[in-house]
Amino acid sequence: MAKFRRRSAPYLFVLPFLVIFVAFSVYPLIFTARLSFTNWRGSGAAEWVGWGNYTYLLTSEAFWSSLGNSAVLWLLIVPIQIVLAVIVAVLLNSAKLKLRGLYRVAFIVPFVTPLVAVAQIWVVLFDQQYGAINAFLGVFGIPDIGWLTTSAWAKPTLALLFLWKTTGFIIIILLSGLQSIDGSMYEAAELDGASKLRQLWSITVPLLRRTIMFAVVLQTLAVFQMFAEPFVVTQGGPYNSTTTAGYYLYNHITRGDLGTGAANSFLLVILVMVLSLFFVRMLRAKD
Amino acid sequence: MNSNPKRPALRLAAVGVTAVAALALTACGPDITAGADDEATSDRLQAPSADKPEGEITIWDRSGDLYEVFDAVIDDFNKKYPDIKVNHEAVDINAKLQNTLITGTDVPDGVFLDDALVGGFADHLWDLTDVLAPYADDIAPQKIDATTVGDGIYGVPYDLNPGLLFYNAAALEAAGVDATTIETYDDLLDAARAYQEAVPESHPIHLEQSPFLGQLQLEMYASQLGTSIADADGELRLDSPEYEQILTFLDTVQSDGLGTRAEYLSPTDIAELENGNQVFYPWAIWFDFAPQQLLPETSGDWRAMELPAWEDGGARSGAMGGSSFVLPKEGENADLAWLFYEFLMYDEAGYSAVWGINDIYPTGLNTSIPAYLPAADPAKPLFDPIEALGGQDLWEVATTAGAQIPSGTSIPSWWNGAVDYLGNDLQKMLDGDLTPAEVISSSTDAIQTNLIDRQ
Repeated sequence: MAKFRRRSAPYLFVLPFLVIFVAFSVYPLIFTARLSFTNWRGSGAAEWVGWGNYTYLLTSEAFWSSLGNSAVLWLLIVPIQIVLAVIVAVLLNSAKLKLRGLYRVAFIVPFVTPLVAVAQIWVVLFDQQYGAINAFLGVFGIPDIGWLTTSAWAKPTLALLFLWKTTGFIIIILLSGLQSIDGSMYEAAELDGASKLRQLWSITVPLLRRTIMFAVVLQTLAVFQMFAEPFVVTQGGPYNSTTTAGYYLYNHITRGDLGTGAANSFLLVILVMVLSLFFVRMLRAKD
Repeated sequence: MNSNPKRPALRLAAVGVTAVAALALTACGPDITAGADDEATSDRLQAPSADKPEGEITIWDRSGDLYEVFDAVIDDFNKKYPDIKVNHEAVDINAKLQNTLITGTDVPDGVFLDDALVGGFADHLWDLTDVLAPYADDIAPQKIDATTVGDGIYGVPYDLNPGLLFYNAAALEAAGVDATTIETYDDLLDAARAYQEAVPESHPIHLEQSPFLGQLQLEMYASQLGTSIADADGELRLDSPEYEQILTFLDTVQSDGLGTRAEYLSPTDIAELENGNQVFYPWAIWFDFAPQQLLPETSGDWRAMELPAWEDGGARSGAMGGSSFVLPKEGENADLAWLFYEFLMYDEAGYSAVWGINDIYPTGLNTSIPAYLPAADPAKPLFDPIEALGGQDLWEVATTAGAQIPSGTSIPSWWNGAVDYLGNDLQKMLDGDLTPAEVISSSTDAIQTNLIDRQ
């Protein structure tokens, strides 16, 4: 009996977590997997449709278009954001900078501002005929641009909103990484006559690589799941040009097409997992 | 290193138990069959038979002024039914209703819902055919169509939203254009051309830039012709002379430079309305909110008239939007909730409190009219004339227009999903990238493949 108690003790300790994990992670996962093979619309019995939902999505122009939109947004957001965040984080980490606390707060303010409020301001600022942005550009003779009403400009405008809103968060993550770098390395580099730029490139960036990769994975997940920004600013338009993978998935759910939505979410999970693994592999290869 | 050979077995057992538990839980989901569910149950709601019905009901409404209006009616309702307690909740219905109905948890007894969404939830709702029977002949036919799925009626029709032609009377008069002579859409084109000649930088007619609202407006035009995107059996009917006529009109407005492309009441739209460049706005009655609250420069200059007809003598209005009250089958006291809605919509004390003068709307609720025809009598106005419309009696205009809305305009359950296809294709046409024929052909194919075939 004593032996059984000793052996079972660890399992009993993890049992509370296990129960919650099964109820809120494993169960929904299996439920969704099961749902993805049906045409269930929220009532009555679900009809088994085999791989029907998956083949529908994989042959659907709209599905691939949503992935394409997310990929373009990723290209417009993540590389720029990482470079920008590294530069700003390094500046904010400088001991010579006065009012550092104030700047840090200023950079995190957009991240904690409600998106709906920001989105309304964005819509007004980027209005084609009466927005402040076009009014400003007009001073230089640049004609009005349909920032939110043309397929060509809607994605960059949305990317700008995402950059403005989330870069502060990435800066905070990188700042924590910077603070773990031993200051003596910079002192040694200075003694060797290395310039600030050289120190940034040869010390800061390599030692921040893990934190940067973490930020890249985080933002990759965020971009491919991006929903709120297109929902409140463009409603996925014009012509679905800002219908991201997350927004496309939402459309299935709200229209009661739960089977297709479930299949779509699984395809997204696979894609995001592959991308994350790719970045982790890249990191390991460098190590 | 694992020194105990029994541990892997124990771990395996733990994983096994977890998997079995998860699978067992998953079995709580819907039954899966190899074919369609043919289960037929009686889901026709019956009114309570007790002399003094009693109980508690939970009613969901959207937050905002309308919630306050309905809330204020509860006291009057309780004078008639003192033993029914109404729990009135302001809820983000579009976000919460689907999950609530699917899970069956804390399901309300009555819900305020867009007509376009009723069909999608019909499986979860009571068929109200029997309780509505005493009133059905007096309800606007378009509203019965909008809430009918198969042989059942799944909503208590709330409001009728007749399409009207709003026009800037002052600007038109200054340009020498008499809008009151407009009777057909050809007349509207002529008036727009005349105005543009007097005000060269103008684009007099509103062309909606939001795919959703653009499709809603398209359906208003179609409703005038007694048609809609699909018939009562769900068969598409875009490929018809009616839609060709409407799309050709819109294409003409676009190609002749007579239209202002803007999203409904966006900054551009408001500016163009205020500066006199956009003077014709064919829209539902609820546009009257704009002159009252959003157009301070031109408030008082606007008027409303019946929509132009598509041909001489044709109907002068179509429906654009609208809402109803639905009663979920899982609600505990749906029969009592029916009494609440019956009072609200079909009792003079109820509908007068909703549309008439009240604390929330001191001149009455004028963004819609009742769907119950005895309440929508042109000679018995419920709301006052509107100052922002130059003191015009909008009640008389709207009820006269509403009475002309043809029947035969069903709303399929996939209506909102069609916005991705028809709504977008319409925008492409208004941007000059598609012809009317291409809109019809492209939207028909896409809706059939992606929505109808997947129901």
